[in-house]
Amino acid sequence: MISKALLEEVLACAMSTGADFAEIFAENTRTNSVYMIDGKVDSITDHTVSGVGIRALLGVRCVSASTIDLTREGLLRCAAQVADVISDKPTVLDVHLTERRFGDIHPIKLVPDTAKKQTKIDLLKAGYFAAKNYHEDISQVTANLLDVDHNILIANSDGLLTEDRQIRTRMAVSAIASKNGENQSGSDAPGRRMGLELFDMISPESIGTEAARSAMVNLNAGYCPAGKMTVAIENGFGGVIFHEACGHSLEATSVAKGMSQMAGKLGQKIANEKVTAIDDGTIANAWGSFNIDDEGNPSQKKILIENGILKSYMIDKLNGRRMGMEANGSSRRQSYEYDPTSRMSNTYIAAGNDRNEDIISSIEYGLYAKKMGGGSVNPVTGAFNFAVSEGYLIRNGKICEPVRGASLIGTGSEILQNIDMVGTDMATGQGMCGSASGSIPTDVGQPLIRVSEITVGGR
Amino acid sequence: MERFDLLKNIIKTSSEARGITEYELYYSEDASISAETYRDEISAFSSSVGGMLLYRCIVDGKIGYASTEALDEAEMDALVARAAVNAACIEKDEEAIIFGGATKEDYHTVPAVQFTMPTAAVIRDEAMKCRDIIYAADKRMADGTECGAFAGQSTVRLFNSKGLDLGISVGNCGEYLQALLDNGEEKQYDYDFLYNHFGEDNREELVSIADKVVAGADAKFGAGLVKTGKYNVIFDHKQMKAMLSTFLSTFYAENAQKGLSLLKGKVGETIAADCITITDNPFYEKNPMQIPFDGEGVPTRCKNVIENGVLKTLLYNLTSAKKDGVETTGNASRSAASIGTRAYSFYINPGEMTRDELFAKAGNGIYVTEMKGFHAGANAVTGDFSIESAGFLIEDGKIGAPVKSFTVAGNFFELLKQISAIDNVLEMKAPGFSQIGSPDVLVPGMSIAGE
Repeated sequence: MISKALLEEVLACAMSTGADFAEIFAENTRTNSVYMIDGKVDSITDHTVSGVGIRALLGVRCVSASTIDLTREGLLRCAAQVADVISDKPTVLDVHLTERRFGDIHPIKLVPDTAKKQTKIDLLKAGYFAAKNYHEDISQVTANLLDVDHNILIANSDGLLTEDRQIRTRMAVSAIASKNGENQSGSDAPGRRMGLELFDMISPESIGTEAARSAMVNLNAGYCPAGKMTVAIENGFGGVIFHEACGHSLEATSVAKGMSQMAGKLGQKIANEKVTAIDDGTIANAWGSFNIDDEGNPSQKKILIENGILKSYMIDKLNGRRMGMEANGSSRRQSYEYDPTSRMSNTYIAAGNDRNEDIISSIEYGLYAKKMGGGSVNPVTGAFNFAVSEGYLIRNGKICEPVRGASLIGTGSEILQNIDMVGTDMATGQGMCGSASGSIPTDVGQPLIRVSEITVGGR
Repeated sequence: MERFDLLKNIIKTSSEARGITEYELYYSEDASISAETYRDEISAFSSSVGGMLLYRCIVDGKIGYASTEALDEAEMDALVARAAVNAACIEKDEEAIIFGGATKEDYHTVPAVQFTMPTAAVIRDEAMKCRDIIYAADKRMADGTECGAFAGQSTVRLFNSKGLDLGISVGNCGEYLQALLDNGEEKQYDYDFLYNHFGEDNREELVSIADKVVAGADAKFGAGLVKTGKYNVIFDHKQMKAMLSTFLSTFYAENAQKGLSLLKGKVGETIAADCITITDNPFYEKNPMQIPFDGEGVPTRCKNVIENGVLKTLLYNLTSAKKDGVETTGNASRSAASIGTRAYSFYINPGEMTRDELFAKAGNGIYVTEMKGFHAGANAVTGDFSIESAGFLIEDGKIGAPVKSFTVAGNFFELLKQISAIDNVLEMKAPGFSQIGSPDVLVPGMSIAGE
């Protein structure tokens, strides 16, 4: 993209007034998405993101600038702007970049951007019509096939020069079931850090069928009763609660400024001893994986909580300086326009020893949350609320009739203590996580877990 | 601009070489710079130079889109090729339109904006000046007191095969001052902006803003609770603006056509009180960011959306207008893969009453000056809202003691009809292609949930 000599010149310019660190993040990203509604291809997004973000640090002061002008003049102007603000001590520095390769642990077989559009449309239609034809009560379906080819280059004043190509593919199908003037929805949206070979592993038909099945369950469900209950939360996207209610509190972004409920608690017991939680960017071809993070560090597997004890945070360079700790491959940004900061990758509660049947049969009366929907969390207090998008009542240790409209309400610290059974079958679900450095792909995950008591909102 | 003209010619050649006779190029370029303070130093500084080319073309009656931020000459042919491939994949039955129905005379002449982007040093100095002024204004400043300075510039060009070649450039700058006062028992904040006035001679104006901000925060100390009940409520102009922003999309014809707006089929009917006239004006004279063409190149125009309570029109682009068999209102927006709808300066016209007369008419009630969480507490489809609020009592027609922690609930479409009076002040300070404004409005009998 940009020559090594020019990168060195631009870094020297950014450092020319006394910064102690400077970094260039260059990006070229191709995004394709095909959208269907009413049984027809409705629109196609075909967009290229291209630009450079430059930042300089001096202690914990950070100054940044971005540009789409990749000419020598454009890059030097951008770097000079950063230098102008960060400090005012004229400094001559010779930056020498050494290219480093960290290997590719996420091999791609079929690069989506090079496939024929019709190939993608055929895949999408297979998913779309599997949902539409599932049942006569399925009244509307929308479907989207997204592929992203994200190419990044990172160079910094410590001499690092490295690159990564991050390809990801995702199909989302949403189905609406209607009867007697009432609408209910269901959806499924698996994605991986891989190419179109994703659909050899997960068939488009299975995605459409799952969306329609869930919509039909909800169409025939009654309202969920409210109150404190024991709840079993299914594996996969159920892990979103850990992600929101606990994961964000372990990001250095909130820990460094003391904004987090988890600040200062390393080595302390913050969860039930059944809970071991991990953030792992190295899982081959997982949605939230990468070879290098957006500061150019290799991805890592980090044990966040081990048998209930807080072991580590997710740390980026700038917040690491604030905390006096090393960065650990957790720095991420949506694009060159955002400053990088500590974020999650694939974050999950590790498999335990409890058998699924034992978890269900242990509950006399409670809720089985098979699929979780969206929610929100207050990062300072850890208070959260999440919608259950497919749920069933449990009576006398048996899963009974479906219920809809349930939500789970609690705080992060409380739910961590109340997770008292953890199953063996860890699975993940995919999401786009929005935070300070933009929207990035992350996996959430867990096995089937039991929460001894949580408030269920219903009516 | 020169860059655009170069790329335009390549696109033109490339399109014609592929036998594409109907196409459009939409180009946007922007630059921004900002700094903010924390305690006694600049805590964040960022600047950006951005831009993109959005291309679309019609092939066999279908329209395809492609876009890029990589503005290299070498990328242009691929951009055209991608859009053509995408067009061939579109299956929806919707007439593809590239607009060609206007001549130069049809476009309103807007004032030319002469704007030079300030340097990083100027931005830093303005931010630090505001910081010094706000800390000098009161001894009770706590961490969380923040000031900032910013500037932005943007250029839009639209070129198509039907002979349109349009362009506009605008820019603006400003400062903000936010005070967080700590009186030992509680903290309260207030903030305000100054636009388009940088330099040494703005000090007096900034000092008076700082004083106003301090007074605003100070007035909130010791807020009490209100009893649940029905009250005469005056929404101040900022809250009414937030309310209009939340429900703006219900005025878009495309949403009515999709069944997402209760204004569907209501044109010609009375939907608001007599005193309400809402105008959508691309040429609002105090706005330095006026725009003579929309996202499809259609000439923009000023129109009343509501006139003395009667809904006169929804906001249209070419496609939604075609569906309803009407003329477009010139409100198309442009994004990477579609045409949508937008408003310009969209405001409730001020009335005759002074602010004092409005308070006298309210008699007793609540003046609502803060509402939080419209994104979660309001539903644009149904019009229902229930919002956490704070403000002041209105006692015998005068502003009284501060009150907090209550919710105001109602329905936007009912509220429009219930408004009994508005005052004569319309202030739209923040420059932008889109801005929303309102006077203070009095609504009798609003439901308030307090203690």
